[in-house]
Amino acid sequence: MSDELFVVDNLTVTLPTSRGPVDVVKNVSFTVGRDETVGIVGESGSGKSMTALAVLGLLPRGARTSGSVRLDGAELLGRSDRDLRSVRGNAISMVFQDPLSSLNPYYTVGLQISEMYRTHRGGSRSAARKVAIEALERVHIPDAARRVDHYPHQFSGGMRQRVMIAMALCCSPSLLIADEPTTALDVTVQAQILELLGELQSTTGTGMMFITHDLAVISSIAQRVLVMQSGDPVEYGTAEQVFSAPRHEYTRMLLDAVPRIDDEVLS
Amino acid sequence: MTLLQVRGVTKEFVTRGEGTMARRSTFTAVDDVSFEVELGETLAIVGESGSGKSTTARIAARLLEPTAGTVVFDGQDVTKARGRELATFRNNVQVVFQDPFSSLNPRYTVERIVTAPLTYQGITPKGGRRAFTQELMERVGLNPDHCRRYPAQFSGGQAQRIGIARALAVNPKLVICDEAVSALDVSIQAQVLELLMRLQRESGFSYVFIAHDLAVVRQISQRVAVMNRGRIVEVGTRDQVFGDPQDEYTKTLLAAVPRINPEWDARRRGKEAS
Repeated sequence: MSDELFVVDNLTVTLPTSRGPVDVVKNVSFTVGRDETVGIVGESGSGKSMTALAVLGLLPRGARTSGSVRLDGAELLGRSDRDLRSVRGNAISMVFQDPLSSLNPYYTVGLQISEMYRTHRGGSRSAARKVAIEALERVHIPDAARRVDHYPHQFSGGMRQRVMIAMALCCSPSLLIADEPTTALDVTVQAQILELLGELQSTTGTGMMFITHDLAVISSIAQRVLVMQSGDPVEYGTAEQVFSAPRHEYTRMLLDAVPRIDDEVLS
Repeated sequence: MTLLQVRGVTKEFVTRGEGTMARRSTFTAVDDVSFEVELGETLAIVGESGSGKSTTARIAARLLEPTAGTVVFDGQDVTKARGRELATFRNNVQVVFQDPFSSLNPRYTVERIVTAPLTYQGITPKGGRRAFTQELMERVGLNPDHCRRYPAQFSGGQAQRIGIARALAVNPKLVICDEAVSALDVSIQAQVLELLMRLQRESGFSYVFIAHDLAVVRQISQRVAVMNRGRIVEVGTRDQVFGDPQDEYTKTLLAAVPRINPEWDARRRGKEAS
């Protein structure tokens, strides 16, 4: 479809190993529309994170890809690293699981956000600082004008993830890739971050590729779902279809394994 | 019969203050915590990071000494137990940790790992170490032929089963599980939970089950204690705590748990049942 923002078509990722090349992602296809969240769910080793890295050209050395990845019609696969650098953080940005290892401990969060902004948009330091403060306000960090000069360790885990989201959104990307963004967070903080992501999406219209192992999280945030297992796309459909009428045995097994909190009947 | 009594336990840690003129201050990780565990039951202690649940577990396991309060096991005050008394306690109380790979010595075979608690006691099992190990491996669902393998040769779920087998080697009355299934994939997690419950049915020991995941806690426990900022804010039977929570924090915690859309879920299960 032409109105799709982001199209992944038959993506295969092959990694070299000591036992020869292994396909860690096999013929994966999905699309993300504007305003839409697509959840990619799977257990460890399912290839869900590799799919995200392939999109951004961040695969380990020696990895080979085939297929097509298009953003707004422009092919991303096979582009040079230099070329992709202008895409990453700009048209596509990413939020990872562990904000502490994604932030540089030596620089204030304000500097890190404004660096990102100036790399892609240029402008003066003072203008970028203003952008950083606005970005922090948008993710509801209280007292943003003061907090902009704080270092990562001065923030709690949830607040750090807000900083990461602020940074990811400062260049108004058309696609946000969130790789297990709430996995390391406490459940009450997770609820706040999920709410924040939903709110920001409805105001900015950013498409989102949300990667997680947690089916309950996917159910609360995604409109469409791709289930992966050992590199294979096993099921792809609307969230409603995947959760209410899964076609694949593996999806059913995953759903059955999720411990429930509201069930009436317990063994 | 009351197996474990934790009475008024407090744990303070000394922390380094911020800045160059740093002054030392104390941080109270566990604040006047009391609870009991009956023989054969599972008490879950649930809370978010920093709630003091793991510190509480470590004190109950005598891996940490409390600043104040007492730990009574089987009628004996073991808070300051040493020597033979402590050895007896360790024979009765075992711990299963979150990360199986960092709690299993990578240079030891399964056989050596699993029989280590016996080796420390100077006991040689009847029928020899090999047969003893293989029997335990079978109980926890591992292939007994793999008893000479090393931890790295197992998957995460299998490695956790090795940790469980080691805990069971001394036939304990209490097994403390500190986030024992948190690092596992959901399908593996379900299997290990199933195993933990089966072993308890077979042997009748108690669990103190430390976890942050409320849905997991609901599956395995009979009673639940909710911790927040070092204190137990609510304790009750599973059905009380989950069905009719009294404390505000418990309510917030329960409301924050992400859920699979209940309508979709019901439709799927309705279909699959028919």
